[in-house]
Amino acid sequence: MREPVLELKGVTFTYPGADQPVLHNVSMRLVEGDFTAVIGSNGSGKSTLCKCFNGLIPHYYSGDFSGEAVICGLSSEGRSVAELSRHIGYVYQDFENQLVRPTVMDDVCFTPLNYGFADYKERGERALALTGLSELRNEFIWQLSGGQKHLLALAGALAMEPEILVIDEPVAQLDPQHARHIYEILRRLNVEYGKTIVVIEHHAEFIADYCRNVILMDNGSIRWQKPVREAMSSVDELLALGIYPPDVTQAAWMLQPGLRLGRLYPLNVGEGKACFIHRDKEVVPSVLFTNEVHLVEKEKEIVVQMKDVRLSYRTIHRTMNPVLNGIGLTLRRGESVALIGNNGAGKSSLMKLIAGMVRPTEGTVNVKGIKVNGLPPERLSGIVAYIFQNPEEMFIEDSVRKEIAYYLKARRLTDTEERVEQMLHAFRLSELAEQDARLLSGGQQRRVSLAIGAAIRPAVMLLDEPTANLDISTKQEMVKVLETLRGQVETVVIATHDMQLVAEWASRIIVMHQGRIIADGSKDEIFADGQLLQRAGLAQTPLMELSQMLGLPHICSSLEEFTQNVALQKEGPVHSGCCQTGA
Amino acid sequence: MDAVKRALDRISVEQIKLELLGTAYNSSSTFLGKLDPRTLLVWYLFFAIVPWFVYNRTILLGMFILMVITTVLSRVSPYILFILCFGLISQIGWLFLLSLFFGGGIESLLPMLTLTLKLSVISLASITVFSSLDPERLSDGLSSLGVPDMFAFSLSYGYRILPTLLEEFHQILLSFRLRGQRPLKHGWLYCRTAVYYLRIVVLVFYPLMLNTAKRSRTTIEALETRGFSYALNNPKVKKLKLSYLLMKWSDWLFLSGSCLYITLLFWLGYLHPNLLY
Repeated sequence: MREPVLELKGVTFTYPGADQPVLHNVSMRLVEGDFTAVIGSNGSGKSTLCKCFNGLIPHYYSGDFSGEAVICGLSSEGRSVAELSRHIGYVYQDFENQLVRPTVMDDVCFTPLNYGFADYKERGERALALTGLSELRNEFIWQLSGGQKHLLALAGALAMEPEILVIDEPVAQLDPQHARHIYEILRRLNVEYGKTIVVIEHHAEFIADYCRNVILMDNGSIRWQKPVREAMSSVDELLALGIYPPDVTQAAWMLQPGLRLGRLYPLNVGEGKACFIHRDKEVVPSVLFTNEVHLVEKEKEIVVQMKDVRLSYRTIHRTMNPVLNGIGLTLRRGESVALIGNNGAGKSSLMKLIAGMVRPTEGTVNVKGIKVNGLPPERLSGIVAYIFQNPEEMFIEDSVRKEIAYYLKARRLTDTEERVEQMLHAFRLSELAEQDARLLSGGQQRRVSLAIGAAIRPAVMLLDEPTANLDISTKQEMVKVLETLRGQVETVVIATHDMQLVAEWASRIIVMHQGRIIADGSKDEIFADGQLLQRAGLAQTPLMELSQMLGLPHICSSLEEFTQNVALQKEGPVHSGCCQTGA
Repeated sequence: MDAVKRALDRISVEQIKLELLGTAYNSSSTFLGKLDPRTLLVWYLFFAIVPWFVYNRTILLGMFILMVITTVLSRVSPYILFILCFGLISQIGWLFLLSLFFGGGIESLLPMLTLTLKLSVISLASITVFSSLDPERLSDGLSSLGVPDMFAFSLSYGYRILPTLLEEFHQILLSFRLRGQRPLKHGWLYCRTAVYYLRIVVLVFYPLMLNTAKRSRTTIEALETRGFSYALNNPKVKKLKLSYLLMKWSDWLFLSGSCLYITLLFWLGYLHPNLLY
């Protein structure tokens, strides 16, 4: 039996001023070298739990605390956060705010320096090497990309060489390849360096691939702590809490007739391949259908036209940094366009050009017959709506109702009241109308930002990463909200990494890479080309991969479609417990 | 009007951000940038205070010449110089107008020139020092001269967060513009347009402050987990942190050179107080 490095005994905690405890009689233990995921719906107390580990609770948040937390043999009682933090590194969900120094090297050395380690520079270097940031050591923080900042936050925690690492949503804002990269680093830290790792994670695919144990939080208490396969196989229970197990697991669960309890399901594509077989019955292939739609759209009215557009930004060293290199693009009425590509491929820049927020260095952008180049954004605002990635940057008033009405009032439109009510209703915001949008939850904030855009009744709506930072059930809801949008707007463009969203929503997919469009086509054309996605820093969803491996007639993007096309193998090969009745 | 428009087009939030950060951080390549921060701070202390008490125009002129040389040496951004000149000229301009109003004439310009000379020396000294010291070294220099660590840290953090704030300022400004309505007519001398822009620039600060307040919660928490308060109570850490500061021969050369120049200047000033006018 390995030593426990972290133990909570009967911890109950109530935030000051709250009636209900956020943590209720929580007991758990982590042994050395564990890799544990904490899951649970929004507000179930996941972050609060993790803040008990390094003593932020109860020392920093002075609420009502009872029970005991023991970290590396030290009881948190009577020890300061700083003292406990020597043993535990914490990476926040909004990791940008934990970077407090100007350059990469300064920031990574900050913690060991604060603790007075004479070898703080060596520690910093080692941490940078572990996270692959050594090349960037002299860069300024504000020049880094989101993914690099996240790695730096991780490196900053690693520089202390702590026994335990806690990471709150490691991959929320990353494209699939960068996300894998982070998890590969975590796995290395876990396997080679023996670190105990705790992640708060919504993406079941990553949990299934990397974690060993899972803690399920529900309403402030721990419902169970199980090995990952058992945990993910509790499909009914997880779905009831709004947590989605990996697609492969869900598919097997859907196909399994009869008693489902206590069964273990496959977790990933490799195992799934051994589990499913192609059902002989031919299901109407939807390939032809989507292609037809695509053809029809070719004749529709042109909404956006870009010709040989280039864009460069000036850098601090007074050089030009090209972000778009010769973009030619035509968007038509009625299209649902997904703009995909890795972080930094130029997706946001392309959309900002259409919205007139930046001026192209060369080339022309036409929206609805108006030449956009250099036009003030106010002139375009009735035609194009741009929804920022961070909804908070769109909030300029003090209530949801006023946010939505701002555009309409600025133009003194007569039907303002009516339209606002309509939007509040369509986006299910009527209850929240008088609240300050900044204080809403992530999903609600997104809905408000979409309502703001839709109230304008624009011809083109541009959305930057609308599902970033949302948990999966909120994300599912977003897909429905996007359907609402289809009725209000002529053309919608979404820049995203979220292949699931693309698969469920888009009618046309544009793939960008290094400032160029490298592919443009329908779902089936793009998703069938694994290499193309690889090149663009993206990944097929497990269902797509599986449909290809099993030789299904077309690439399935939804679970329903997939389960119609496959059956479970009768005498499946024994594959680490896949499709077998649990012990 | 077109020229003004083009000039205005060049001034964007992005541009200002680059200039500011360039001035703040792009300094370690110059001669002055390689000096120890303590040298520069002591040097600055002299040139920021002494000119106020000097009325000898020869001395002031001599100081001014020295400042021009150090400004050139520290390769100050032309934007900053432009703003400085603009400030000085407009200052003189309105003072002169005021003096004309009270019955003064061309002769009232001369005493004002003395004041301007003083202001220029002080401003150029500030520009030289602050564009040669990046915020990090400034903060370490202050800290080693005995300024409280909390203050020194806030200074360097202030600069760290500046680009983030400017970025967010820009985004919120865009939110106002994307949803707002610019006056359809520019009005007399672009008055209406100007009022519209000034109004939203002010309004942007409210959401900005609220968002920043929300964000700083994590920062403060993270500082705690990263051992910041531990360091504050531990003099050993401060010593370790500042151990890289070193007075080199170039520092002593710079300081003694400046001393010599100033001594000679005062001597010359007392011999010929009215060398200039």
